[in-house]
Amino acid sequence: MSSIADTIRAIFVKDLVTEFRAKQLLPTIVCLGVIIAWIFRIAAQAASVDVSVAAGAVLFIAMLFAGILASDKGFAVEQENDCISSLLLAPVDAGDIYIAKLLVNIVVLCIFEIVTVPAVLILFKVTVTGRWLRLIAVLLLGNIGISSVGTLLGGIVHRTRAASSLLSVLVMAVLMPIMIPAIVALLLLFGPVVPQAVGAGTFGIAGDFKTAIGYIAAFDAIFVTVCWLLFGLVVGD
Amino acid sequence: MRLLFWCLSFCLTLVSGWMALSVAAVEPAEYNIVYIHVPAATCSLVCFTILFICSIQHLRTKNQMWDHIAAACGEVGLVFATVLNATGSIFAYAAWGVWWTPSLRLVSSAMLWFLYVAYLILRASLPDQQRKGQICAVFGIIAFVDVPLVYISARYIPDIHWPKIGFDSIWQSVAFGLAIGGALLLAATLIWLRADILKSLNQISKPALSKAEGTKYQN
Repeated sequence: MSSIADTIRAIFVKDLVTEFRAKQLLPTIVCLGVIIAWIFRIAAQAASVDVSVAAGAVLFIAMLFAGILASDKGFAVEQENDCISSLLLAPVDAGDIYIAKLLVNIVVLCIFEIVTVPAVLILFKVTVTGRWLRLIAVLLLGNIGISSVGTLLGGIVHRTRAASSLLSVLVMAVLMPIMIPAIVALLLLFGPVVPQAVGAGTFGIAGDFKTAIGYIAAFDAIFVTVCWLLFGLVVGD
Repeated sequence: MRLLFWCLSFCLTLVSGWMALSVAAVEPAEYNIVYIHVPAATCSLVCFTILFICSIQHLRTKNQMWDHIAAACGEVGLVFATVLNATGSIFAYAAWGVWWTPSLRLVSSAMLWFLYVAYLILRASLPDQQRKGQICAVFGIIAFVDVPLVYISARYIPDIHWPKIGFDSIWQSVAFGLAIGGALLLAATLIWLRADILKSLNQISKPALSKAEGTKYQN
């Protein structure tokens, strides 16, 4: 048991140290997130609607793009000098490598959100006083979902000719069951949207906050388990 | 044998179409699309389920045959999913006055379509023949996670798109059954044909591949 924890910790620390020394990924995704929020803010202003309605979707889109870039980078660095082969030659289970990479992506997304979430809150004039815990729960579950699929598919696309450009299509297509309840949950947290309005027609499946959170958690569990089991088949030779 | 399947499927579809236009017509008229829409939905879900099973079998046995069937199911299932979304859209315009509305069921079936488009894009962009089957099988399994959501949303969750229609004559039930039978036969024939073509393609490309590899080693 301790050897598994050691393996995960070793890969986790290696990837984080690489990132903190190179400082390639985090500045990029933080800038991207703020720019996305800013552009949507201008568009919402032009449409002269209640701008806070857009905040939830904007935040999740920013998270999604950041997650895709992070997952892509996680395997792009392993391709240089064929590091992935050395990693696979080590006598460790591929599932452990997956868990370590997953944790790195989650941590990177959490750091990304420390900057982006306040930016979105300020730009879209949203207040979440007293609902911080709920916001953190949605963000954390969203991070796990995006990273779980992103990490596995990041391993897949580096075997293809199209590489990174394919990743966004694959991740977004697979992640739709998480995207819908997550955006609904963020809408309920941020906006002037009342649960009855959301639940009535459009997204009956995730009408109130608790149901939406339940859906995200359930799909997180499914995706993490399935991806953890299948990861060895993707990277191994 | 395949010709027999073709003919049978053609006849069943023709008979059900004739019945739908005469004795089994439903009111109001736009609801007649049920004879195309529901069989297309059934076939696409069946194709994606077979794809999922073949993906698991391919990972277990490493037999190329399963990969060919999975690829064929992906392509045929996508054709039926396209018919499903197109007929659904036409019905929505006739009945509700809009081409598309973000109801859960419409979202989930559009989602399914994109998912299997992504599957085929992935399949097309993997150069390595040997690894292709394995990686596509992995994606096929993850993609299937969304299929039950589509099914559950279509059957059990109240929505604008709720199966309000009940058949009140035996002719309608018969026509409906024939339409589904015909479509399933058509799907089976197409999968069979496509899997055979993929198998032949694989056999053709194999000697060329080994020849190229041979020159690589000589150099």
